[in-house]
Amino acid sequence: MTPEYAYQTVQKTLYVLSPEILLLAAAIVMITASPFVRVARQRWCAIAAAALAGGILALIATRDVVPDAYAAVVVNDAMSFYVRLFVLLSGFIVLGIAHREPPEGRAAEFFGSFLMIQAGTMITASANDLIVLFVGLELVSIPTYLWLYLSRRTAATQEAATKYFFLSIFSSALLLYGLTFLYGLAGTTNLKALGALASSSIPYFPSLSLGVLAVVFILAGLCFRLAAVPLHFYAPDVYQASPLPVAAMLAWIPKVVGVLAIIRALTAVLASRELGDPLINKVVLLCWIVAAATMTLGNVMGLLQRDLKRLLAYSSIAHAGYMMVAITAAFASGGARGNAFYHGIEAALYYLAAYAFMTLGTFGLILALRKADGKPAATIEDLSGVGWTNRIPALGLTICLLALLGFPPLSGFMGKFQIFASAFSAVEGPEATSLRLLAVVGMLNAAIGAFYYLRIIVLMYFGKSEEPLTATGGWPVALATGACAVLTLVIGIAPESISRACREAAASANVLPDAAVDAPPAVAGAVAAPATAIISD
Amino acid sequence: MAILLALTVFLPLIGALALVLLPGLDKGAARKIALGTSLVTLGLCLALLAGFDPAVTTPQFAAGAADGPYGWSWLGRPDVRFALGLDGISIWLFALTGLLGVTCVLASWESITERAPTYYAFMLTLEFGLLGLFAALDVVLFYIFFEFTLIPLFFIIGLWGGPERKRASIYFFLYTMAGGLLTLLGVIALVVVHMQYSPGHVLTFSIPELTRGLSALPWDEWYRTDSWTSPQVLIFLLLFAGFAIKVPLFPFHTWLPLAHVEAPTAGSIVLAGVLLKLGSYGLIRFNMAMTPLATQALYPFLAALCVAGIIYGALTALAQSDMKRLVAYSSVSHMGFIVLGMAAMNDTGLNGSVIQMVNHGLTTGALFACVGILYDRYHTREMSQIGGTWHKFPLLAFFFIFASLGSAALPGLNGFVGEFPILTATFAVSPWTCAAATLGMILGAFYLLLLLKRVVFGPLVEPHGHDHGDHGHSDVPPIGWHEVAALGPLAALILFIGVVPEPFFARIRPAATELTRVVERQREGAARVLAKSDSIPADAAVSMLSREAR
Repeated sequence: MTPEYAYQTVQKTLYVLSPEILLLAAAIVMITASPFVRVARQRWCAIAAAALAGGILALIATRDVVPDAYAAVVVNDAMSFYVRLFVLLSGFIVLGIAHREPPEGRAAEFFGSFLMIQAGTMITASANDLIVLFVGLELVSIPTYLWLYLSRRTAATQEAATKYFFLSIFSSALLLYGLTFLYGLAGTTNLKALGALASSSIPYFPSLSLGVLAVVFILAGLCFRLAAVPLHFYAPDVYQASPLPVAAMLAWIPKVVGVLAIIRALTAVLASRELGDPLINKVVLLCWIVAAATMTLGNVMGLLQRDLKRLLAYSSIAHAGYMMVAITAAFASGGARGNAFYHGIEAALYYLAAYAFMTLGTFGLILALRKADGKPAATIEDLSGVGWTNRIPALGLTICLLALLGFPPLSGFMGKFQIFASAFSAVEGPEATSLRLLAVVGMLNAAIGAFYYLRIIVLMYFGKSEEPLTATGGWPVALATGACAVLTLVIGIAPESISRACREAAASANVLPDAAVDAPPAVAGAVAAPATAIISD
Repeated sequence: MAILLALTVFLPLIGALALVLLPGLDKGAARKIALGTSLVTLGLCLALLAGFDPAVTTPQFAAGAADGPYGWSWLGRPDVRFALGLDGISIWLFALTGLLGVTCVLASWESITERAPTYYAFMLTLEFGLLGLFAALDVVLFYIFFEFTLIPLFFIIGLWGGPERKRASIYFFLYTMAGGLLTLLGVIALVVVHMQYSPGHVLTFSIPELTRGLSALPWDEWYRTDSWTSPQVLIFLLLFAGFAIKVPLFPFHTWLPLAHVEAPTAGSIVLAGVLLKLGSYGLIRFNMAMTPLATQALYPFLAALCVAGIIYGALTALAQSDMKRLVAYSSVSHMGFIVLGMAAMNDTGLNGSVIQMVNHGLTTGALFACVGILYDRYHTREMSQIGGTWHKFPLLAFFFIFASLGSAALPGLNGFVGEFPILTATFAVSPWTCAAATLGMILGAFYLLLLLKRVVFGPLVEPHGHDHGDHGHSDVPPIGWHEVAALGPLAALILFIGVVPEPFFARIRPAATELTRVVERQREGAARVLAKSDSIPADAAVSMLSREAR
């Protein structure tokens, strides 16, 4: 590698990371300036929104910068671009929901941390290096502790923050441990190079026992972010104790980074392997169990809940289970299957997009509907009769709940359709049975889960209103939740645009570009496999 | 014509949106808009019926039929298309939906006073879903409409229903939704099997293409039905889960009486008249046409469920004192006949089943409307409290008797035209099944005549102790024009189909023949596979590969 080439790579990397750098700079300025200037809460929120808008511009401006995949620490492929764009856009929705949450004095820190969380998510999406991936994940975690603690300093939130803090640290440690195994296998931290090594014909690579250890620990660490079994149990307590906007963020951002990290560090690296491979065989079994257990636990426990936030926590666990089904399918089918009509990663990404709108919409609308004492509705009974007293918010909530339930033609249905279709068509022959069984388990779960969403709708429309609720929050909440409800409907009826983006993203994540002429040492010695078109379009 | 079909499907939805969005509508204006919309929809349905060419066996009024796939592109990849079209099987159910749409609006004319615009909007949305379902030529579109119909009816039962409405609506929704999800998996399985094994790995969602492709799949395993885990049997069972609940077949019927009793009159009419047909229509389109060998192998199982439903439904109907419950259980019994006829999988049985679906929609719709008219006046459905209505409402009594006799399959009325071919076809396959099913017909005549005897004939009995005063119901309103308008066309068709069934059969027959041809092709494939390998155990659990074995 010549010095010029190294310089060029670093330059391009910085260009690619410019949206994140911009967000982080804005966050640092906000947090540093806050003790010295008095700015109203709305202003801080507006500054954060402006930073997001600037991030979008920077993202679009650097669309065509492509650093060398085997040398740079980030990639700028379709997945990186679309996911970062989506995360930035969804940031406006979270801001809209949370704009009144922090107390006046701590608004700058609150919105600053939010920008950091966004930047962390985006770094995870574009990471091409184990260390950068970990940095991205931590950049999400650490400001999240602040979020949990900043908004309200009651005993309950303190408990939630502490619980989340210790478990998060624990899971990060597990993840880091797994990543070191991955590094130890190949001696490189570059993810594309790891993928190229896995697809090469080097004997005994990846070694089965070390490979399984790496996958188990990485998955264990990421299950915490996804709120998947066995590291799901914090979710109901933390959600219940946190204010609604924080819970909304917790239900959305950690899921994105969890799925993205699994894609970047595991499925894309192992994309060249298929179900016949002994390592993949074990990984699929592991994911199968995690997916089935997560879905079942989330849905069954959801049936018992009366508290809205706990109910939504179990709902988010159940949805993590559906995403794990797609990831299981992605592992099983590898990258190069022409005849799976939805690839697992494509389905997982689409489901994330659908999930963002329906779950943020649900949280936002519940937040907006306040009782006479100014507190938002806490139990499902509080929503009784709201269908007739607050027609428009109730309609939006109904749309979001029906989408969570998987009702056609809303986005949740399309998402479930893609996930179960991907599981169904991932492999052919006798090995397909277990994945198809997983799809059946998922469908039965969707049927169980339908009950607790439907119960809310039944109460909203068929119940009697005891304590009238009023819709509050002003135009930002109305705009954010309205956008969620409308988009839930629109991307269900016309899923083509999102679907195409997800497809390109999935294809690009699994692609191994040709090594540059001046091959970096990491891949020298590996038989650089030619780039194969992963998903035929 | 493709545009006209799409317009027919979407017109009720436009009407529903108008009802929701126009501000300040009262009951009178809302019902007029609803009636106008449903009348125009019916007119368009009739226009389509007039333009339907009986000789063509492929779907008609479909866009892009001449070259390439049907319909308009909807999702780019995979190629899910917005494809609508009608063939001889769906056209009648489509027209029936249009007709019952008008009946439903007229049946709710006076009885719905609360939130009338919303009510009619849900009614029209439901009609939209049903029309779309019968016209869908794409499996995803079919499934979307299949589930979509749940929401309007869920709200109709839950908001305007009887005292137990909350439970009834949840039951109805969850039960059918759970089955529907398994059906979705079955549909995905069909598509995947077709994609993985058809020559050229064609990924298609089009119902006609799938039917064709699956009947000539070059995959031996597909034609083997000698175990419970062979692909065709498994897919059959997945598909069957949703459709059997919707029909409903015997052990899955528990949601139906509750939903019927709690639903408002119009809800019951559309539920029994059209919604149950979604199940039997799905069975024809998917189970019979795409997995016929499994249907054939599982015939004993299917026939047993049908006969059990026929007898059980009839006996339970006999034991009811609530008129609506009686008609609801009679539906369970009659739907058993419909599925029994199609399970025989020959021309006669299919023709009978399809016409019987229309017949059942007409007669049961009329019966529910009659019961609803009495309920509106007396606020009770107990047969012990109402009697001799002949003396008070001769016109209603006429319609009541007419519909009951049609339902009891009196020769000369429509029920006979449908049940006779069904029983003939069943006799050819399994005489004992036919004998048992015929018992159901006798019981049917028994409970319907009993209903007439108690409610229509005898001395006039009216419920007492009601707030109209204790001198009986001297001031109940007479039968209004809208009630006559609701029942008149149904009665006319009951007679017309009974006397001149040929125009109906003429359009059903080509499509039914097309279907039996597909079935025949699969049987040939099975015979080929059977000839090739002799490893199939003779005493396998479900071993009915050849026709002769039956």
